[in-house]
Amino acid sequence: MNFTDILESIPSSTSPFFRFLVIIGILIFTALLGKVITIYLRRSLKEKMSREHLEITLKVLYYSLVVLVAILFILPLLGIEPSGLIVAGGIAGIIIGFASQSIVSNLISGIFLMIERPIKIGNQVKVDGISGWVEDINIISTIIRTYDGLYVRVPNDKVFTTNLINYVENVARRFEYEVGIRYSDDADQAIGIIKDVIHAHPFALVNPKPSVFLDSLGDNSMNIKVRIWAPASEWFGVKTELLWKIKTTIEENGIEVPFPQRTIWFGNETKKEELPGSQ
Amino acid sequence: MFGTFDTPLNINESGIFLSIENKEKVQFYSRECLGEKIETHLITEKNKILIHPVEPVNIPKKITQYFLIEFDKSIFIEPNGKNTIYVKFPIEIGVFTSGKKDIEIIDVFSIVPQKYSIYGDPRNGVLCRYYLSEVFYSIPQTDLLQEGVVELNIINTTSKWVELTKAVFNAYGMKMYYDNNLVAMKANIRILGEEIAETYFINASLQSGMKKAMELYTAKKIHVNITRFVMEWSL
Repeated sequence: MNFTDILESIPSSTSPFFRFLVIIGILIFTALLGKVITIYLRRSLKEKMSREHLEITLKVLYYSLVVLVAILFILPLLGIEPSGLIVAGGIAGIIIGFASQSIVSNLISGIFLMIERPIKIGNQVKVDGISGWVEDINIISTIIRTYDGLYVRVPNDKVFTTNLINYVENVARRFEYEVGIRYSDDADQAIGIIKDVIHAHPFALVNPKPSVFLDSLGDNSMNIKVRIWAPASEWFGVKTELLWKIKTTIEENGIEVPFPQRTIWFGNETKKEELPGSQ
Repeated sequence: MFGTFDTPLNINESGIFLSIENKEKVQFYSRECLGEKIETHLITEKNKILIHPVEPVNIPKKITQYFLIEFDKSIFIEPNGKNTIYVKFPIEIGVFTSGKKDIEIIDVFSIVPQKYSIYGDPRNGVLCRYYLSEVFYSIPQTDLLQEGVVELNIINTTSKWVELTKAVFNAYGMKMYYDNNLVAMKANIRILGEEIAETYFINASLQSGMKKAMELYTAKKIHVNITRFVMEWSL
């Protein structure tokens, strides 16, 4: 015997007091079931969502369950046939569904963002071409404060569906330079100087090791590739400080960063030298 | 240099110039070290100045609470073996003001160059203050303002030979002691597997007569739950 059979077995002529008791019983059962489900979900999701967002999501689920049970099981006991409501609700649902498509999409994306947590408040991110700090993650939208101080509200479906870069998710990140030196300079000496400059900087990490090597023989210079790991929170400062220090230190040691140059030979100069009487 | 002082105060030692001048109810604090100059004012009627060694994870910027000492030579320890080694760590000097039952840090500096590293990999590892140290089997000589000594008891609880190349600590558990010649602390490293060990500090002085240094997180009223560190990405 399923629950519908139980409902149908309650005759319509039953006393209102008995019906009231059944309704109260259903509500208590639903409330208990809701509590059990929320406790289970809270335990499962507490590592994956922030506490604030988890509580909002659980409340939405809990009240949705109560409303669903009320429509399906309690309304028939009160003499209201939900099938009529379902037809009317279906038409209204289609209209509301079209109207609120983007809101629902953002809401669902927001819930998935809270579970997946690819970004956290305070992270430095790039979403849909917008770079900055995450100020807040709401159920519908994410707030980003750009590096030039602008407040940008990004809908959550954009955050969820577009490429997202979280610059500080990992502990450290790598950056690189290409330093050109003249062909007449000593590449080994330049590499040694650059390594010393890197070693002197506190936030140029020891592990992973920095790498400095001659990468290519270019048109105008020998190109030394410099790869450095820095703490994710400090990398920009390290990058800007080190480039200038490398430039000034190699120049102090007589090594120069050459300008683009090209030697041009004129064919008629040779002919002029070959002409009789020319000097 | 370490201890508790009344104002006015003048210290000129190992390239550190530190002074506190009194003018009515204001004290003018200034410190110069390695070309860096700090000046600040203290509005107080009566206070004490404490200069203590502090956990070496604060400069140039507080970005981590972990501290890694890499040994210049690796150590192999026998199954179920125990031994005590001594390694050095860099000193950071903290200047505190104390009065009316409260204490506050006003400056942290060091004459030792700082270096940071990752223990583990960039995805899952932890950022650490880094220091390369020789391994000693008796208390080594140190420059008081530059290096301290950690007495490290190595306990191999496994039934295999284990190679140890580094020790990573949670600085929030550091228990530093000092006297006129030495800054020191004691720690244990319990090897639990070929790739896993646990480190923690012991609240005891290395030599008799040493004084306990102020813990920076205590002064900053930081509540600390975990003071141990589990090394799980290689030893």
